[in-house]
Amino acid sequence: MITDLLYRLRALFRRKSMEAELDEELRAHFERQVEKYIQSGLTRQEAARRVRLEFGGLDQVKEECRDARGVNFVETLIQDLRYGLRQLRRNPGFAAVAVLTLALGIGANTAIFSVVNAILLRPLPYPHPDGIVHVNLVWKGGGVNDTLTGPEFEFYRDHASAFEAIAGFRGGPDLSIKQGGASEWISSLRVTDGFFKVLGVAPVLGRGFLREETRPGSALSVVLSDAVWRKAFGADPAVVGRQVEMGDANYTVVGVMPPHFTFIEQPADAFVPLQLGRSIEDTGMNTHVIARLKSETSLAQAQANLNVVFEQLRRGGSIQSGQQGVQLVSYQKWLAGDLRPSLLMLFGAVGLLLLIACANVASLIMARATARQREISIRRALGAERGRLLRQFLAESLLIALIGGAAGLLAAVWVLKGLVSSIPWDIPSTTHIGLDGSVLAFTFLVALGSSLAFGLTSYWQTSLLDPNAALKEGSTQGGRSTSRSRARSALVISEVALSLMLLVGAGLLIESLYYLHQQKLGFDPQHVYTMNTPFAPDARVTADQVWNFEQQVLGHIKAVPGVTSAAVVTLPPLMGPNNLPTQQEGHPEHSIGGMEYRAISPQYFQAMHIPVLQGRGFQETDTASSTPVVMVSETVARAWWKDKSPIGDRLVVGEYDGQQFPEVLEPPREVVGVVGDVKNLAIYEDEPTTVYVPASQLFRPPNSTAWVVRAGSNLALGAELRRAVTAVNPDQRVLRLQSMSDVVAKEVAHPSFDALLMAIFAALALALTSVGIYGVLSFHVAQRTQEIGIRIALGAKRGNVLLMVVGQGAFLAAVGTGIGLASALALSRFLSSLLYGVKPTDPPTFIAVSLVLAAVVLLASYIPARRATKVDPMVALRYE
Amino acid sequence: MGMERLDLPQGTLDLLILKTLALEPQHGWAVSERIQQISSDVLRIQQGSLYPALHRLERRGWIKAKWGASENNRRAKFYELTKSGRKQLEAEESAWRKLTMAVGQVLEETA
Repeated sequence: MITDLLYRLRALFRRKSMEAELDEELRAHFERQVEKYIQSGLTRQEAARRVRLEFGGLDQVKEECRDARGVNFVETLIQDLRYGLRQLRRNPGFAAVAVLTLALGIGANTAIFSVVNAILLRPLPYPHPDGIVHVNLVWKGGGVNDTLTGPEFEFYRDHASAFEAIAGFRGGPDLSIKQGGASEWISSLRVTDGFFKVLGVAPVLGRGFLREETRPGSALSVVLSDAVWRKAFGADPAVVGRQVEMGDANYTVVGVMPPHFTFIEQPADAFVPLQLGRSIEDTGMNTHVIARLKSETSLAQAQANLNVVFEQLRRGGSIQSGQQGVQLVSYQKWLAGDLRPSLLMLFGAVGLLLLIACANVASLIMARATARQREISIRRALGAERGRLLRQFLAESLLIALIGGAAGLLAAVWVLKGLVSSIPWDIPSTTHIGLDGSVLAFTFLVALGSSLAFGLTSYWQTSLLDPNAALKEGSTQGGRSTSRSRARSALVISEVALSLMLLVGAGLLIESLYYLHQQKLGFDPQHVYTMNTPFAPDARVTADQVWNFEQQVLGHIKAVPGVTSAAVVTLPPLMGPNNLPTQQEGHPEHSIGGMEYRAISPQYFQAMHIPVLQGRGFQETDTASSTPVVMVSETVARAWWKDKSPIGDRLVVGEYDGQQFPEVLEPPREVVGVVGDVKNLAIYEDEPTTVYVPASQLFRPPNSTAWVVRAGSNLALGAELRRAVTAVNPDQRVLRLQSMSDVVAKEVAHPSFDALLMAIFAALALALTSVGIYGVLSFHVAQRTQEIGIRIALGAKRGNVLLMVVGQGAFLAAVGTGIGLASALALSRFLSSLLYGVKPTDPPTFIAVSLVLAAVVLLASYIPARRATKVDPMVALRYE
Repeated sequence: MGMERLDLPQGTLDLLILKTLALEPQHGWAVSERIQQISSDVLRIQQGSLYPALHRLERRGWIKAKWGASENNRRAKFYELTKSGRKQLEAEESAWRKLTMAVGQVLEETA
């Protein structure tokens, strides 16, 4: 083996001297033989001639010797590549179309793969990220919740044995940190003691949290991010142990995280202990739980262990009714969440697109191979090996693919910029979407794979050529071999089928989008602005003070020209949940644990164009000292009072199933009106049950207030609204200032993005397919010019000729559509999680896209068909 | 030419070359001459296939080549058997004998 290798290497690198040696050796042999014949009486001339005959072609012998030496592979590869390059240069039109087609396919794949790679494939930036899991709660109906209650988390923490560490976390309020005279806002995350162990990253200074620090009432501590440590503490290495005032409390700095550490799910400037007590927030399902598996433990083993612990918890009677169990999900997979099905769909779509592009290039190569068939036949007849011809085909394909791949890569760089900026998903800023080693490797492999795919396909059909037959036919019309046209027809059929699948996908998504837009929001977002004013935790304001502030700001806002109405609301629609347990007074059977709760000022329904259906809206006369009142949404009224009027009845916020939650318990409120349902949580969800209370009648200060302002027309109100707030309190922060239309648009941004990309891919597929069909039919027409000429000469009507060609296109389209419909039916169910209001097998969609495809195919067939009818019999017959 | 000559069965050329070189190092032309002589002119080597075979054997490490002076004092490339070539020759020889014996037996039995 080693001698073999050395020999080959020597042969490769000492090529020149070995060639010279071979020459000399063969010449010596030649001369000796000639001498031998001369001795036996021949003249020199005759002797030489005879030796040459015996020897065969000297060059052929040399070639065989080179083959025997094993160098030939590399040399012929270079030769073949040069040959390929010459072929491409000789036919720039073909080369351009092939390269562009491939660049399209490869570019789309590279761009989408970059996103897939960044979000689904690249490991999380923590040590051994495979071991990190997210703990979900599963309901009996199959629904999944991503948060647990505090007591549940503590039970799993104390009883599960599969975890090396387990931690709960919850978003914290923004904290103002005072440094010198200025104060700055930093974001915080509340975490339990296992948090940094789960992530596998330890503070560079100090330590993480201790269990004691997470017990309610213990002294507060904080772990700083590197950024805050540098910005607010001047990177002081002695910061650990220092007291720092944040918000309304004093914290002891216990640790500083390393520079590149971020908590991807929810980046924070500071980490504070999550102290789980008996508060409604802690006992409700508000705590995210992540865990790190022990190194020898698999996900399945950990799940089994957790199932056992869940049973213990169930026997203890402390699970929520309707809970089925808990579920461990790889944290990476969990973070990708909803993006996963979208990305896989888009990745599948560009894969199909690439197949179509390859089919088109293969078809092009075949067409050209037919034109080159005489050349190939002659070379075969002269003794060119099949293997060598195959290599040449592959070398040419490889060149096309590599150039196409390079062009595709450039296109991807360009497309990615636009793609990344228009991605509507929440992607952590640390997730870099771009070209890296794995993307480049992917592109290269795709290019290589494509070149193999169309190189082999086109070689396969050319190898069917019988060199003798082709030569005998002796004309450029030789390529009537049915197998070849069958091969190209098969390519066109598969293109049609693939396009149909893409069209179905795009059609279903567009239809979903249509249904989403058809959803009644329950309010009118046009010309409505919204903003949020969170109150600092250290403000120590009373409910009265908040209402006072709100009234003053509302006064300023209403004075802005163009504003027609303005109101405060706890949280405008589509900005998140805010719910409290609520019950009809004296009716435990009429209670909802997660009733959406909105405190509003009188003009809210007017500003949002939400209809008051029964009774009255809130008025200035509903004050802290008047009778507590409430309004209910239509669904609540129907669920609890059926046909009767709820007006005059009372309900209790803070009561559920007869049980009271003292922390949030309010005095009973009298129902004064019923309002229309509003999509408060998400467009694609049912209208949530909602109660509205007057902002003037709150019993606890809210920790944040939002505002809705209706303007007469499309005014840019941003600056005025901000000024209205700071006029009352210069220190008040204003966040999330935006138009309500933008909020709604964000809600459908993800499905719109999916639908848009799928529509683009489907359109490209359609374009490529029609080019493919056009090419095949034009080629057929050109091949059959003579036959068509004879038909016309014999009296065939031009209409018949037209039908003949179009019919052929229609046939290909029909077969392809059939196959495509079957495949789409089989595959579309994978889209079901991305669809809204439409079934994956929606017949109208399937029919509509088939019709679109049919129309495009017929159009593509029509041009070559027209050309066929224009055939002049005289010219065609003289064509030979 | 008159005399009947046999084409070599596939694969026997390597065996014959190895055998010839087992006697003494030879250059290419002499190898073909020797085979022809010993077989009383029955076996004739296609000149064209001799050199590729030599190069193949060299690559496999069964023979090695070096330049030397030929009997008429001209520069020539001499091939000689290596150790592994000798082993290969033994193996091929015994395989060949077995084959011819078996074929011979069959022919006699059925004659």
